[in-house]
Amino acid sequence: MNNWKLDPAHDLGLPLKERARSLRREDGLLETLLHATWWSFVRGYLAVYHRLEIVGRENIPAEPPFVLVANHSSHLDALALAAALPARLRLRVFPIAAGDTFFETPAAAAFAAFVLNALPMWRRSCGPHALRELRERLINERCAYILFPEGTRTRDGCMNAFKPGIGMLVAGTQVPVVPGFLDGCFLAWPPQARLPRPRKVGLRIGQPVWCSHLADERSGWERATAELEAKVRALGGPSRD
Amino acid sequence: MTASERLFGARQAFDHPVTRWIVIGVVLALAVAAVSIWALAKAGAIGETQRDELKKRTASWIVMAPLIIGPILLGAFWTMLAVCLLSLACYREYARATGLFREKLISLVVVLGILAVSFAALDHWYGLFVALFPLSVAAIAVCTISIDQPRGYVQRVGLGVLGFMLFGCAFGHLSYFANDPNFRPMLLLLLLGVEMNDVFAYLCGKSFGSRKLAPNTSPNKTLGGSLGALALTTTLVSCVGRPVFAGTPAGGWAHLIALGVIVSVVGQLGDLTLSSIKRDIGIKDISNLIPGHGGLLDRFNSLMFVAPSVFHYIGYFNGIGLDEPVRIITGG
Repeated sequence: MNNWKLDPAHDLGLPLKERARSLRREDGLLETLLHATWWSFVRGYLAVYHRLEIVGRENIPAEPPFVLVANHSSHLDALALAAALPARLRLRVFPIAAGDTFFETPAAAAFAAFVLNALPMWRRSCGPHALRELRERLINERCAYILFPEGTRTRDGCMNAFKPGIGMLVAGTQVPVVPGFLDGCFLAWPPQARLPRPRKVGLRIGQPVWCSHLADERSGWERATAELEAKVRALGGPSRD
Repeated sequence: MTASERLFGARQAFDHPVTRWIVIGVVLALAVAAVSIWALAKAGAIGETQRDELKKRTASWIVMAPLIIGPILLGAFWTMLAVCLLSLACYREYARATGLFREKLISLVVVLGILAVSFAALDHWYGLFVALFPLSVAAIAVCTISIDQPRGYVQRVGLGVLGFMLFGCAFGHLSYFANDPNFRPMLLLLLLGVEMNDVFAYLCGKSFGSRKLAPNTSPNKTLGGSLGALALTTTLVSCVGRPVFAGTPAGGWAHLIALGVIVSVVGQLGDLTLSSIKRDIGIKDISNLIPGHGGLLDRFNSLMFVAPSVFHYIGYFNGIGLDEPVRIITGG
């Protein structure tokens, strides 16, 4: 017998609006049901409309925690990465989404939080504090993140440099980072288009990378970031550089 | 009275004089409370913080009272629906406070159990209603075996069973009350007794309470408050209960006084039960849904055990809805 820890919900007592934006948000039964419905719809949509093809699924760890990173060119990216996960893990994955896009209005925040299960990252004021909170949750709660270290969607189809936030999240931890490369998302739904087009989308998943040997300080963060960027670029193939 | 009249017959809402008097009394009491807070504040008899606190509490009551009384007046169906939603909302608060919500499978079974109990009450199928208590407990006990993780089994099943028993089983009896043609005055009497019991305990405790009742569980409760509430609630329930149960086996004074004692004592025990749960977890309010009150559970805790106790007490003497058609949905 294990001692049960009477541990109240970490977002207990927060009003609904703040709860949606909280990094401590925890799901109840209703939200879980919404996520499950949403992800099965997304899987069907990606398979039919974009003929999503995934290579290297076996590289995804069987158990969380882990972080999925990839190049970012459209709103389809997070959906495609989540669709690559088995159903059991899909309910424990948090896409990290831009606060100023997905959490600004209450309606958008409610959708992002209770349907997408996203956690906000505020780009204008993304302090080390929020990253610390995310890092702790990743380690303590054994969940998974979907993250786009470029920070924003590419506007010209070429992959941009990674921001060091990803390094701050994983340097010095035992958490594996799984690199992925998304192909065709820019053509399917470029930032300028209102709606996605029925183009084929591909996802290549590489072998996980551990950053446990790197120090949890600036030099370690930068090395981790550079290493991960190289891995993702390599998955994209030499012709795309 | 046909089943559909009982379920949806809002026209009969005020047929019973006690229903009329309780509704008028509540409306008057809230109006008097609002006016006197305004007058006291104007005269400078109460401070600003105290005024704001009283204002918040009264405003919450002005919102809550129609939400509680409305479904009862509208009909048995709406009463059962309101009780079902109350059970689900209370279970949610409990699960989030204890951490049980992380056990999705157990939570799902508890929620299905609550829905099934509500259905049995709506159907007026007593056999299913009582069968669901052991069956749901069994379902909670076995549902997590398939995940093959025995660590923490006793605790998660224990918490799940307690949650189902408190909110599915205990509150379910409020639903089943609505199968009696006389459910409006009975339920209103019950709610009035339970809520006034809290008020009496608070007022008596303020006036002549010094000895603590259970300092570790609930430091603000006093023996004086508890005994004062016992005396006042018993008087209130037996006097208002007299016309409700007139001419029935439960209508004698001795039986009515016993009913009042049950409402007061069991109500206070329900209150202390929630206090124990909160103390164990280490939180003050179970949520912040109702301004000035805390969560739904902080408001309805006293009702938890009163519902089944009074149900079976009245059931023993009078029966509940014995002449009403049974199994109105499933037939048989």
